[in-house]
Amino acid sequence: MSKTSSKTMTRPQLSRSDIASLQADLDAVRDEVMQSLGASDVAHIRRMIRRARGSAIAGRAMIGLGFDPLTFLVGVAALAHAKIVENMEVGHNVMHGQYDWTNDPALNSQTYEWDNVCDAGMWRHFHNYEHHTYTNILGKDRDFGYTILRMSDEQKWHPFFLFQPIWNGILAAAFQWGVGGHDIGAERLLNGQMSWKEFKQRSKPFHRKIRRQLMKDYVLFPLLTFWNAPRVLAANFLANLIRNLWSYAIIFCGHFPEGTAVFSEAETQDETRGDWYFRQICGSANIEGGRAFHILSGHLSHQIEHHLFPDMPAHRYAEIAPKVQAICAKYGIAYNTASFWRQYGTVLGKVFRHALPSRRANPALSQA
Amino acid sequence: MTTALPIRLRDRALRSAWLHPFNDADAINDLLGSLNPRWSLTEVRAELVAREPQTADTVRLVLRPNRLWTGFVAGQHVTITVEIDGVRHQRVYSLSSDPADRRLLSITVKRQPQGRVSNWLHDHLHCGDVVTLSPAQGDFVLPQNHGPVLLLSAGSGITPMRALLYALRARGAGDVVLLHVCRDADDQIFASELAALASGWPGLRFVAWHTADRGRPALAELLATVPDHIERDTWLCGPAAFMADVEAHWQASGATERLRLERFGLAPTVIGSGDAAEVRCSRSERLFAAESGEALLPAAERAGLKPAYGCRIGVCRTCLCKKRSGTVQNLVTGERSSEPNEWIRLCVSSAQSEIELDL
Ligand code: FES
Repeated sequence: MSKTSSKTMTRPQLSRSDIASLQADLDAVRDEVMQSLGASDVAHIRRMIRRARGSAIAGRAMIGLGFDPLTFLVGVAALAHAKIVENMEVGHNVMHGQYDWTNDPALNSQTYEWDNVCDAGMWRHFHNYEHHTYTNILGKDRDFGYTILRMSDEQKWHPFFLFQPIWNGILAAAFQWGVGGHDIGAERLLNGQMSWKEFKQRSKPFHRKIRRQLMKDYVLFPLLTFWNAPRVLAANFLANLIRNLWSYAIIFCGHFPEGTAVFSEAETQDETRGDWYFRQICGSANIEGGRAFHILSGHLSHQIEHHLFPDMPAHRYAEIAPKVQAICAKYGIAYNTASFWRQYGTVLGKVFRHALPSRRANPALSQA
Repeated sequence: MTTALPIRLRDRALRSAWLHPFNDADAINDLLGSLNPRWSLTEVRAELVAREPQTADTVRLVLRPNRLWTGFVAGQHVTITVEIDGVRHQRVYSLSSDPADRRLLSITVKRQPQGRVSNWLHDHLHCGDVVTLSPAQGDFVLPQNHGPVLLLSAGSGITPMRALLYALRARGAGDVVLLHVCRDADDQIFASELAALASGWPGLRFVAWHTADRGRPALAELLATVPDHIERDTWLCGPAAFMADVEAHWQASGATERLRLERFGLAPTVIGSGDAAEVRCSRSERLFAAESGEALLPAAERAGLKPAYGCRIGVCRTCLCKKRSGTVQNLVTGERSSEPNEWIRLCVSSAQSEIELDL
């Protein structure tokens, strides 16, 4: 297993013919799985939906009807688990269109709405389009550092970044809010590229979704068992917090660990699908773990496979990972995989290191 | 049409943001479905209660729908949804049962060569299984008042005629001719019912043309069996070529207002490479041409349409659009598909036949 630990990732130089055959190899991996999709894939996602629902019902019942600390703790855990499974394994993957081929309206990418404050339509725009198309292209992939963190030498330093360990902590705890507001592009308001009016207009779906979520977790359920209202409020807050921390940690391990490369807009101009595949591999990192861990991460622990084939049902990533890794080895491309603690450790290291000004490692990648 | 109060209340409750998540229709339907597969809050689900083989390749399926079924008018059809190996497929079938029966309904299915759904219904749908139905639709129905009637059908085109016959008999219609073309007596769908109907109903005359004995009829020859056909209110259903001939004849006689047609969905004819296919957009009511091998997104834009898009390389699904009918090819994988009502990405799909988009 190849692990990269050099400070700055060195990207191998592949010839045009290598890129073309890389494309053919990866297309073959994709086709084999996509042609075998069937009842078992649908059964998997429906099982996950039932698991999230069952867990939410059990958790909310224990929280609302119980009186003792034990049901409180178990209830919070069950509700957090429900939200994690629904957001990560069901919502994220369904909204990628991984199950559009089933023609089941309940599994349709365009109509699914998930259990957090991020509006599904906004998510599809900045995630499916911006992030997955322009992965790790500085200036185009707004997910790289989420516009408030400096995660590579190539990003221009600003005194604002001095405090980024703090921003990082806030983002982790309030992750759904960061994700929810991401598509509005508030940074453009601050630097004068967006008017107040446009800002308000763009915020509308976010506000609608916030109302719906707050209503559910902080009004409806507390009222339903009003004698227990403070307990319900606290438990729902904790469950949301746990889900935030978990999804933050998993997602930060996707593109920020040591060894993930960034790209400039210029060098990605006339990309073929092979170039695009290459960029996805170089820009992504996997986390090692067992099946339960993969499910709880929504299979984002197979970030490389996910970025290569975002519309392949995610529970298939584990099965193709060895093939992808072998293809990477064939072309000398590093396949970045390690334990959660190692990957997250290097992410934290970057948060601290890049808080301070540094020379740009690759001037070609300099960002305005 | 006004909807019943309980239905209106249900729809309001399902839309309300205040009741979320208690009004999650998918969750409620799943729960009801796990208690009894026919139960649903929003969908007509129907259980197969009997299969009656009609000919070697045709079977009548008798279904018992749940209470959301509001009945049908003779001549109408339903869209049936079945899940085959994880994929939902929809097909339209004429209702062939007596519309007076609100408890049971039936459709009659002929095996199509390579037909995914028709063969599955024949081989894999067992009594006790449940399918999903749309409400009844279509205007191939009887008007309030009509004169003498001609029901003209060929092959499985007879399926809506059975329902029409029951309705006509209930009205006490006194002059009805059913003229039907099929291969031979063994290929006659509804043979025993038709015999029974005709024997107890002097107003019905049944004329069968068996091609095995008499060959494919020239239209004039066939219509000569009902000399006053052009004066009759006529209902026509059968293979496309047959229907086109009949339609032309009625047009030539200036009697089109007395002719009603029910067309089956047809296997689309695939265009050759280098040819252009016609794309109909049902929402904007626009029409444009797309070259084979060309993605539909730029073709639509050239025609002045503005479909939503993002990456233009098949990654983001912003351009997702429902294809109502026709054959498309995925330009990335080369895969072809003719499934009606499926989601396609306009930026990586090319038309392989005339298609209809929900655009
Ligand atoms: S525009 Fe992104 S998939 Fe078509």
